[in-house]
Amino acid sequence: MTVLDRPDVAVEPAGGTAGALPGVPKKNRTDLYLAGGLTALCLVLLAWNITGFPMASDDEGTYLAQAWAVAHGKGLAHYTYWYDHPPLAWIQLAGLSWLPALVFPTLLSVAGGRLAMLPVEAVTLLLVYVICKRLGMRRWAAALGLLTFGLSPLALTMNRQIYLDSFAVMWMLAALTLALSPRRHLWHYAAAGGAAAIAVLSKETMVITLPAVLVAMWQKAARSTTRPWAFGAFASGLALVGIFYPLYALLRGELFPGDGHVSLIGAWQFQLMSRSGSGSVFDEASGSGALIDSWLYYDSVILFGGLAATVVALFVRKLRAPGIAGLVLALVAIRPGGYLPAMYVVQALPFLAILIAGVTEFGFDKLRPARVWWRWTILGVAVVTALGFVVPHWYVGDRRALVANDNAPYQEAADYLRTQLPDRAGTTLVVDDVLWLDAVRAGYTRDNVIWFYKLDLDTAVAARLANGWRDVDYIVSTPALRQDPNSLPTVAKLLTNSTVVASFGPGSGPVEIRRVDKENP
Amino acid sequence: MILVSLVLAGFAAVTLWWTMHAWRTPETLASTRFAAPDGEHKLTFSLLVPARHEQAVLEHTVERLLLSTHAGFEIIIIVGHDDPETAEVAMRVAATSPGRIFVVTDHSEQKNKPRALNAALPYCRGDVVGVFDAEDQVDPELLAHVDHAFRATGADVVQGGVQLINFHSSWYSLHNCLEYFFWFRSRLHLHARKGFIPLGGNTVFVRTETLREANGWDGTCLAEDCDLGVRLSSRGKRVAVAYDSAVVTREETPGSVTALLKQRTRWNQGFLQVYRKGEWRKLPGFGQRLLARYTLTGPFLQAFSGIVIPIGIAIAIWARLPVGVALLTFVPVMPMVANLVFQVVGLRDFGEQFDLRIRWHHYARLIIGAFPYALVLAVAALRAVWREYTGKRNWELTAHVGAHLTKPAVAESGVTA
Repeated sequence: MTVLDRPDVAVEPAGGTAGALPGVPKKNRTDLYLAGGLTALCLVLLAWNITGFPMASDDEGTYLAQAWAVAHGKGLAHYTYWYDHPPLAWIQLAGLSWLPALVFPTLLSVAGGRLAMLPVEAVTLLLVYVICKRLGMRRWAAALGLLTFGLSPLALTMNRQIYLDSFAVMWMLAALTLALSPRRHLWHYAAAGGAAAIAVLSKETMVITLPAVLVAMWQKAARSTTRPWAFGAFASGLALVGIFYPLYALLRGELFPGDGHVSLIGAWQFQLMSRSGSGSVFDEASGSGALIDSWLYYDSVILFGGLAATVVALFVRKLRAPGIAGLVLALVAIRPGGYLPAMYVVQALPFLAILIAGVTEFGFDKLRPARVWWRWTILGVAVVTALGFVVPHWYVGDRRALVANDNAPYQEAADYLRTQLPDRAGTTLVVDDVLWLDAVRAGYTRDNVIWFYKLDLDTAVAARLANGWRDVDYIVSTPALRQDPNSLPTVAKLLTNSTVVASFGPGSGPVEIRRVDKENP
Repeated sequence: MILVSLVLAGFAAVTLWWTMHAWRTPETLASTRFAAPDGEHKLTFSLLVPARHEQAVLEHTVERLLLSTHAGFEIIIIVGHDDPETAEVAMRVAATSPGRIFVVTDHSEQKNKPRALNAALPYCRGDVVGVFDAEDQVDPELLAHVDHAFRATGADVVQGGVQLINFHSSWYSLHNCLEYFFWFRSRLHLHARKGFIPLGGNTVFVRTETLREANGWDGTCLAEDCDLGVRLSSRGKRVAVAYDSAVVTREETPGSVTALLKQRTRWNQGFLQVYRKGEWRKLPGFGQRLLARYTLTGPFLQAFSGIVIPIGIAIAIWARLPVGVALLTFVPVMPMVANLVFQVVGLRDFGEQFDLRIRWHHYARLIIGAFPYALVLAVAALRAVWREYTGKRNWELTAHVGAHLTKPAVAESGVTA
């Protein structure tokens, strides 16, 4: 029975459960110390040699340059913002990346910018732990989830890089955490909706994991009197935060497609209809196949283990929410003819780690080894086999992440650009996006530092070069720039009509500073 | 513009937060219900039913009150000396149940509800005084619940729920019903908990000695119910609010938009009077005083924001403000729209609780009618301010003095919401 409201008597929740709920450490701080300690350990591994491995990618440079544009009040991107992605992730990045740039001015900007990802990953790691606890897992299982996510070489590689997906998945995990709130507070659900909206506005593809949050809420609010209100709150939070993106476009007059301007709906049409697929994941030769291979190269354990766990989790009530996230992510990845982005796996990794931990605990419970000795034996054999397989595998992968120095050529090229070329303010330079920000920071005029894609794809940039490719003084040739010469004729022309003045790195994939030979016919 | 937006957003968010008080967690919701009565009847009740030109509904109301399952209660009907029709009905009803029903005649010069109640107060013999309006549909189980609530909580005042039911009769009645629903179901509980409560006009029960100590109702105040609540709160009296859809007192919405407007003007003006009277300054806690200040001025802020927010948006879209500023003007819309979402959920819940069939067009009406309703509230708020500062403080608004009025006058004497 219940207590009436009175002015001087606080109404206690029925049963007084608030203090003893999982995920809300009150007196017992074991969870806090355990999760905090393990997170710190994983962060050290992440931070160690973060500048050297993996090799800086063009995408990282692009996001960092966009964050730079936001931080310096130059709009939402360093080129015309065309609604390719919602901007919230690099707006957040802008709030974080100024600090490393200030502290390490001579470091390759992408390498320095990666330090900004550490707080994001710290939060993500903690959220993995909290979600495990709130799903009803025991402490050791939650710790297993955190460690699986933190120590997997694939996660270690991807989480170091500046990807929008890391921001998005952090927010979606926050939404899931709030949806699983033990107090079932109305405003937690509203906040969950808001967090989910921020996740989607950080990276639009994150929306596919939304069903997991809904299922978690549905289960958590089951048999409660406030379920319709909870969903009302969630919907309000989601819609009212999410609406600001189309609203922004609307206020700028860029919501609907039209002549002479970019538009949100036009960009969506392109993303959904026109973007060519990257082939089937089962086709070794396709882009998707190669991408999956590269993920498997770093870590097959978390991928295969996670997928297997997903299948099991769908049949376990308390694991169904992350199970659905895993299922949807897997289905979208293997859909035929779709485009699979290189960083797609970032969205899946925390969910896979949670699933692995949850299913491991589930197996342990089913086995109930406390009863019989032979069950202990099975368990022991399973654990030893798993560790025997995982540990060497992960040791090799993690060790590589801690010692490899893949960014030396880029760093040397950046140093060269900063110190060796004369008349930087008057030089026109074509670079990839990794070096774009370094060049601008080194004193080259922003309009004269051209991201190589834009030469052929942005008419406004082409219009600035009255004499075509002959207006370019230098081109920095990198593996990213050389990747796709056939679709970019001006870049191809610059590469053939230029000579190397400096070259860094191995013969197979060097970074070359090339002077353009304007006299060539 | 930016400042106005942020202030409005803050206001709307706080209002939303409080409106949703009861549904914050399943535990809070459970705590707002009446505890199940234990079947013992320990207290005696004096039920006051002031009636004025309400001969048409009075008999039915009293007959329903007589059905009450509680053992110890008397009914005191209060009629004006200048209202023979109602007096006649009252006498006739009283004759059917001698010793249970009494009639008191109010001889005061200017007639209003607090004066009528004060006229009856000396005759009350019960431990607890309860107030009902002449058109109320009171549940027979209510007194047993209230009896138990007094004993279980040790409160000095018990406020029961009042609910408008005829949500389907006009476009505004839907909103009006939901307003009551949110107020009694949720917001009042927050007030009770914080120790500052503007009481409702009926289904309110006060211990007789407490009421006599407080000198009864304020005969000059347009919102005597709110005033009483504020005075009792500032004396540190304990108020229990309990809501149970099974035993709420059922009422009807005002019969026309004009009646609604006038009713609302009176409440708002009453709130303003209570605010100016300053009794709330005696509240012990700073938070309580802040809540009082906020609640008593609330209708005006609400009316103001209901008008200003849409205008701000119109400006943002058409005046080509900088995008950042324009986006900021949309911030107050968030709690506003969220409020509408919760109203939709509330309508569903309302239908479930009272066994009413809510159709899709009711939801549509709810959403479409939101702005016009806000407009009505805003006009009422402006009228109230205007009347208060031009000194028009008569109780019965012009249209309700005439004896021909039945329904609108009936609804006029509703509760404060």
